[in-house]
Amino acid sequence: MNTSHAAAARFESVTQTFGDFAAVDGIDLSIAEGKLTTLLGPSGCGKTTSLRMLAGYARPTSGKIYIQGKDATTAPPEKRGLGMVFQSYALFPHMTVGDNVGYGLKLRKTSRAELQTRVQESLEMVGLSHLAGQKPRKLSGGQQQRVALARAIAIRPRLLLLDEPLSNLDARLRVQMRAEIRRIQNETGLTVVLVTHDQDEALEMSDDMVLMRQGKIMQQGSPEAVFGAPASRFVANFLGYENFLALDSTRQITVRPEHLITTPTSPQDPAAVNPDAAAGPGLHLRGTVVDVAYRGVDVIVTSRALDPTGQQVQLLSNMRADALSHLTPGDEVLLSAPGDRLVALAAEPEAASSAAGAAR
Amino acid sequence: MTRRGTVALLLIPGLAFLLIGFLVPALGILFAAPGANTMDIFARVGTMFTDPYDLRIIGRTIGLGLIVTVLCVVLGFPIAYLLARSTSRWAGILLALAIFPLLLSNVVRTFGWLVVLGSNGALGQLLTWLGITDSPPQLLYTPFAIVMGLTQLFLPLAIVSCYSAVSQIDAGLDDAARGLGASKLRTFWDLVVPLAAPGIVVAATLVFAGSVTAYTTPYLLGGSRQRMLATELFSYSSVTVDWVSASATAIVMTLLVVAVSVTAARIGRKGSVS
Amino acid sequence: MNTSKPVAASLAVLGYIIMIVPILFVVATAFTSGSTLRFPPEGFSFQWFEAALDYAPFTGALFTSLQLAVCSTALALAVGVPATLAIHRGSLPGKGLVEGLFLSPLIIPELVVGLALYQQLIITFRIDNFPVLLLGHTALLLPYAVRVTGAALAGSDVSLEEASRGLGASPIRTFFSITLPMLRPGIFSAALLGFVTSFNNVPLSLLLQSRESSTLPVTMLDYVQQNYDPMVAAISTLILAATVVVAVVAERTVGFAKIFGGINR
Repeated sequence: MNTSHAAAARFESVTQTFGDFAAVDGIDLSIAEGKLTTLLGPSGCGKTTSLRMLAGYARPTSGKIYIQGKDATTAPPEKRGLGMVFQSYALFPHMTVGDNVGYGLKLRKTSRAELQTRVQESLEMVGLSHLAGQKPRKLSGGQQQRVALARAIAIRPRLLLLDEPLSNLDARLRVQMRAEIRRIQNETGLTVVLVTHDQDEALEMSDDMVLMRQGKIMQQGSPEAVFGAPASRFVANFLGYENFLALDSTRQITVRPEHLITTPTSPQDPAAVNPDAAAGPGLHLRGTVVDVAYRGVDVIVTSRALDPTGQQVQLLSNMRADALSHLTPGDEVLLSAPGDRLVALAAEPEAASSAAGAAR
Repeated sequence: MTRRGTVALLLIPGLAFLLIGFLVPALGILFAAPGANTMDIFARVGTMFTDPYDLRIIGRTIGLGLIVTVLCVVLGFPIAYLLARSTSRWAGILLALAIFPLLLSNVVRTFGWLVVLGSNGALGQLLTWLGITDSPPQLLYTPFAIVMGLTQLFLPLAIVSCYSAVSQIDAGLDDAARGLGASKLRTFWDLVVPLAAPGIVVAATLVFAGSVTAYTTPYLLGGSRQRMLATELFSYSSVTVDWVSASATAIVMTLLVVAVSVTAARIGRKGSVS
Repeated sequence: MNTSKPVAASLAVLGYIIMIVPILFVVATAFTSGSTLRFPPEGFSFQWFEAALDYAPFTGALFTSLQLAVCSTALALAVGVPATLAIHRGSLPGKGLVEGLFLSPLIIPELVVGLALYQQLIITFRIDNFPVLLLGHTALLLPYAVRVTGAALAGSDVSLEEASRGLGASPIRTFFSITLPMLRPGIFSAALLGFVTSFNNVPLSLLLQSRESSTLPVTMLDYVQQNYDPMVAAISTLILAATVVVAVVAERTVGFAKIFGGINR
């Protein structure tokens, strides 16, 4: 994590429990000023609860939350001056688009002229100034999403919080909006906290990525750092690493399907993996094809093999369609990957501590 | 049998009951009241709006109806709002407690006020004991008694209408408003009230229509001193047997209810368009 | 309840007091050993329950009311459910109009409907009181039957019926094995609501009843007007207990709120 930036917000051993269940379990988290930080994880990992605590809609059971250095743990949402975009957009149905965007400014007793300029400005930023007079219901999902964004940035918030903002959009629009949000962040210099369960979204948009699981932070760092060196099997799995092999009782490696090469076998190929695979010569395994799925550009070959500990593993190999000679289920194959493509994993570690940046 | 024949066969028994049990007799009030002709009835409707005695009864009916409507909305909306927004498991029990009276006989519910407001009743004794009055005041057979009785009767109706309106408002909107800087109170007035307005209009209409046509309450709690249109209608038709006045009162009462319902429907429609 | 909204909470408490407290006083008074509606009650006894159950006009009226409620509910469903089917599945040209016609008794004050039936059927055509009561109550319950079962039908999926036909079931077979089971909760709600509405009705029965066919609520009203003793408190308490049973049955079967969700009246 880049420490040259001051923290826009900070969680200090924050816990949120519902009965016996800890939705957020003692997390320490620092959100860098002017950056886009993503809270990423499967549903129920505590990312949304963390965001809601940051916004003031939920109060931590214990721990402190600081916003720009000030203790905001118990401040009500209306006193925090944050902009939030909700998953459901939460546009006020009885107000026009312009009134929605201007609502926060009206509450701040902004002069009418100033209010109109800023509403116009915010709507222009999302490209919807022509719809100011419309009711939200008449807008498409993508347009509503942009209005929600404009409404949040109109108040010039200290932080912009986005709760799964793109999950209700169709696939094409989603990709388009990622760039849009990045652009707005660059133009405004806002500190953004984005909650998502979509790893592609997180990888594409984040400056800083926080992976969460069961209320704990598993790993934090830049997308490149986390993707290149996932600290645990969970993180690797979540980021799309498919192939997990045990080298011995303590050491695990993983390799992405696109780095696992499948070739027809010959009898003299080694039958087992080299114990020092990750360090040097790479992975070489004999296996049997189970399934071949043709996908146009590429082919996914599923094979079965034995890892060095004798466990049967299923391995996915993602090959370019034109690079692959014809394979059918039952074929004997050689599965190989160069050493620099193998990622060593610690043997199922507990949740990484706050110093998860050390994974670098 | 043809499809059209089947549909007709399904509808005819119901329509027959409606015609004989409702529509035709209802028209009879205007055109075929026993021993009265239509012109007399219309003339009598006219005098009801000029005769001071009739006017006082119409005025009392509308006046008390309005008071009860306001009370039911003012008390019922907060209940509906708190119940709809509560996450407590008590909310379900309290909601059931608010709906339950709808199943309970009006006579039973109204009878309770006789015990509370009667000359040896609880409220009078409480007021005397507190030293507010020297002797139990006359509470029964007053407009106050009618207002209390009608409010008790129609409050559950107001709660049900308001509840369904409030629970349709996405609670996320409250969060959004709070996040933009609105206090809880501000959120209530800026969001909840305008968005629940159609439900409030429905509640007010039902309560008003119920109040101006209720019979049991003015009969038991208003007595002969606080006559309203409904008790008047009954005494015209069964005590004095004045069919012209009975029909005329029925027409006035119906017009009142229909006028309010139509106006409310129009307001509701306008509200949903804008 | 939420303590951060003191004004709303106080209004809510006041509302509940007005709704509930008088009912509690009825119950308290029913067990008095005294002979007036005095509060606090003087002593404890079941004497007024015994008196109420021995009082012939009450027991007679109870029988009439039960008979009336059962018959009118059954009749309203018997003619209302087919009508609902015709409205929702019959591709009627004037669907809204026909439905409006069936709901129309809700608009006219019940007392006025009572007057109309009294004038036309009892005075003019000299029909007996009970048949007229039954006719009136049935017409009154028709809107409930049509709207509540209609809501159940509207919420059900037509494609289930189409699938049944596609699998080779006749329309009649489809009705009994698919449509009717889907309608069952709606019919149950309508029946419950209809029974309670008829049983508790005063304004419609008021003018239509006679000495021989007097309904319980109206008999109670008459009694209260002439006597100031706790017998009505006792019978009220019994009605309250029965209503609680009905409410619990409603809650256990279709859900309390659902019954009233379908109809706003």
